[in-house]
Amino acid sequence: MPAFPALNQEDIDYFDRSLRELLTKSEANVALLVEKAGYLIHQCGNPEQLDTTTFATLGSNAYNAVQFMANLVNETNFTSMYQQGENFSTLMVNVDENSLLVIVFPTHLTVGSMKYYAGPVVRGICERIKFASARGDVVDFSDVDARDVQALFNKAP
Amino acid sequence: MAIINQATKELQVKIVYYGPAKSGKTTNLEQIHANVQVPNPDSKGKMTSLATSSDRTLFFDFFPLEAVAIKGFKTKFALFTVPGQVIYNATRQIVLRGVDGIVFVADSQYDKMEENIETFNHLQDNLKALNLNLDDIPYVMQYNKRDMPDVAPVEYLEFLLNNREVQVPQFEASASQCDGVFETLNMITRMLLHKFLNDGVRSR
Repeated sequence: MPAFPALNQEDIDYFDRSLRELLTKSEANVALLVEKAGYLIHQCGNPEQLDTTTFATLGSNAYNAVQFMANLVNETNFTSMYQQGENFSTLMVNVDENSLLVIVFPTHLTVGSMKYYAGPVVRGICERIKFASARGDVVDFSDVDARDVQALFNKAP
Repeated sequence: MAIINQATKELQVKIVYYGPAKSGKTTNLEQIHANVQVPNPDSKGKMTSLATSSDRTLFFDFFPLEAVAIKGFKTKFALFTVPGQVIYNATRQIVLRGVDGIVFVADSQYDKMEENIETFNHLQDNLKALNLNLDDIPYVMQYNKRDMPDVAPVEYLEFLLNNREVQVPQFEASASQCDGVFETLNMITRMLLHKFLNDGVRSR
């Protein structure tokens, strides 16, 4: 399984434009790009009331779990997952092997419209990730003095 | 695998606490969450536990923790536990996805040795299912519950669990007293960061 590539400012700008455009067109509240190990890659929207780090972790693990379930009954075509709420709903759409798009939207909007607007965004992000992977950036830490990396965490007295 | 964001200067790393049921994985995270010194409140995220009604981990426990910057990169550690009960083995595999470092929390009590070994074997199997190899992943052993009666000598635990080609660092702990918890965490984070310093971080 290839890992998520190192990202640069141009990648982040691309994700930002794509997610903002998605929110504008779909009228959703929040869009998150999430790596399936649980990392939040980028977020757009109005997430003040939402702990997006936790949301991304829960979302990715939930998606992975249901995908695992689907595989057990030989369902290999698993591309999205939907949680219907009373005020807000959540749609998770597969981007590629390593990442997901998570959209939070008010319930007066339909999941069908979210999927419609998410489609081109997902394809664009997928291409951008492929481009970043092909670039193969390496961040070299070799000039850091390893002695600086000692006890990172201390217990409060 | 670790995520690096050169735009925001962030390095995100996943550490999983793995071990048999009731060995103290969740207690480790609770103690870290309760006692860690942070430069500002935002450095420590909320602890999330997906547990059964009897407080047994059903899916995972999780909290994010930020550490000092390395070469200008803010390092974010995502700490996870897996459920200890064997019936949740599929769930353990899901939580292991993208793991960078592992703390194996063993229960030191004599009557838990079989469970320790079985769980360690499951860990290797689960990693294989994800096309990962324990030899390639930094990990440490924590021999927990040293404050309990009838614990096995550390040498015996080492013989059973840390007898591979390369012996990994081991720590005695009583997580409920917060003894050995920070020593374990600091060793796995050091091992991880040294790995990044040696290898660099790239798309793999």
